[in-house]
Amino acid sequence: MNYFLEIAPNLLAGLKMTLGVFFLTIIGSVPLGIIVSLGMKSEYFTVRWLINGYIWIMRGTPLLLQLIFVYYGLGMMGITFPRFEAAVIAFIINYAAYLAEIFRGGLQSVPRGQYDAARVLGFTRTQTFFKIVLPQVIKIVVPSFGNEVINLVKDTSLVYVIGLGDILRAGNIAASRDVTLVPYLLVGLIYLLMTAIVTVLLRRSEKRLNIWR
Amino acid sequence: MVSMKKKIIVNSIVGLIVIGIFGWLAISLNSGTKNTSQNAQKSTKTDDWQRIKRDKQITIGLDDTFVPMGFRDKNGKIIGFDVDLANAAFKSMGITVKWQPIDWSMKETELNTGNIDAIWNGYTKTAARAKQVAFSDTYHQATQVLVTLKKNNINQFSDMQGKVLGDQTASSGDETFNEHPKVLKQYVKDQKVIGYDTFDKAFTDLNAGRIDGLLIDEDYARYYVAHQANPKNYTVTVGGFAVDQTAVGFRKSDVKLRQAVNDTLTKFKKDGRMTQIEKKWFSN
Repeated sequence: MNYFLEIAPNLLAGLKMTLGVFFLTIIGSVPLGIIVSLGMKSEYFTVRWLINGYIWIMRGTPLLLQLIFVYYGLGMMGITFPRFEAAVIAFIINYAAYLAEIFRGGLQSVPRGQYDAARVLGFTRTQTFFKIVLPQVIKIVVPSFGNEVINLVKDTSLVYVIGLGDILRAGNIAASRDVTLVPYLLVGLIYLLMTAIVTVLLRRSEKRLNIWR
Repeated sequence: MVSMKKKIIVNSIVGLIVIGIFGWLAISLNSGTKNTSQNAQKSTKTDDWQRIKRDKQITIGLDDTFVPMGFRDKNGKIIGFDVDLANAAFKSMGITVKWQPIDWSMKETELNTGNIDAIWNGYTKTAARAKQVAFSDTYHQATQVLVTLKKNNINQFSDMQGKVLGDQTASSGDETFNEHPKVLKQYVKDQKVIGYDTFDKAFTDLNAGRIDGLLIDEDYARYYVAHQANPKNYTVTVGGFAVDQTAVGFRKSDVKLRQAVNDTLTKFKKDGRMTQIEKKWFSN
């Protein structure tokens, strides 16, 4: 317990970094994911190919490589981002690809007939999407979206490769300084706490959305 | 439904943009690799010493898990032998040091992309590294030693016959181990070594008996053995590895910066400040 209090300030400083990457990624990747998923249904084949290529690259290569590429690779080509920004950009474009696939699944589960009905009733395409399709999609995708969010909590630990000090690195430092595994145990508990909070929040929103099922 | 004409126009515009991006990527990637190879040749062209002196700040990269060279104390402050030495050296030049934690396997990339100005963190001179960075004068010497459990009775490198060895990935010890296979590599099991990212994990495995020996720099060996529950349980074997020269790594173009650091290190060696800092970190 004493030891925990001793290293807690460092772990909390690392936690700040973890949470920063986490929230900015959520905020950035959800809208981008929706746009990408709509693009997949585009009438222009070049747009569809472009987006499929993007998703293929993002899902087909390790996030760790993408981080290295965004920070060091683009840096060599003259596009330099600061460390934190580079991490957030890499996470957003990666998670947007996964989320887009989830949203696509949601979009496809809305029956064709609803679009036709909306058109007969005189809804514009924008109105149909925002008033009829999107509310149903949100409800459908919550469980799989939650899965990705929980993955994201843990994936944030990859930022170590571009020298950012997240909570796992803080644990690493304490472990190598004090030659003990206890810091890892504490880090694990903090991750569990974070995922517990995320799980509860998702359950609640799921329940609330179920009202009009 | 969109008209055929509109479809063709949008498709070709998007197609052209994609081709444009790929073309630009290919060109800049190509020139990027050229630049790095050119950097080595046109050495005095871009010297960052002026900028460092003007800003009165230098960014040094370190792996903040490297005890006792550079690590964090419980308050999160970066401390260590190299940290004291570098801070003192640059302070005498009126420059403050900004310590930037980096991933150790990315250190040369960090340096050559300009994210950091120097690698000063128990950085050992090797032939492979010398191709990418310019080293300062040697300021510290250490050799690679073998740490084993006393009960296993391993007292020389040849006792490692058929035993499992661990070391740190991308460390100079790992490089030395592979370059001089006769010294130790020929003995260990399958001529392979288990690579760990940090030594504390390697020690955990050594204690658990999953590896029989650990190849480690003697400075780290001393620190880690001293911090184990029972330091008497370990044998530290000095074998036939050459002594490692620890130095500071700079970009090849930063000639003036390197010269300034070399001068300061020489001064420190003469006036005893070097010994003072060494005593503080290595006398246990």
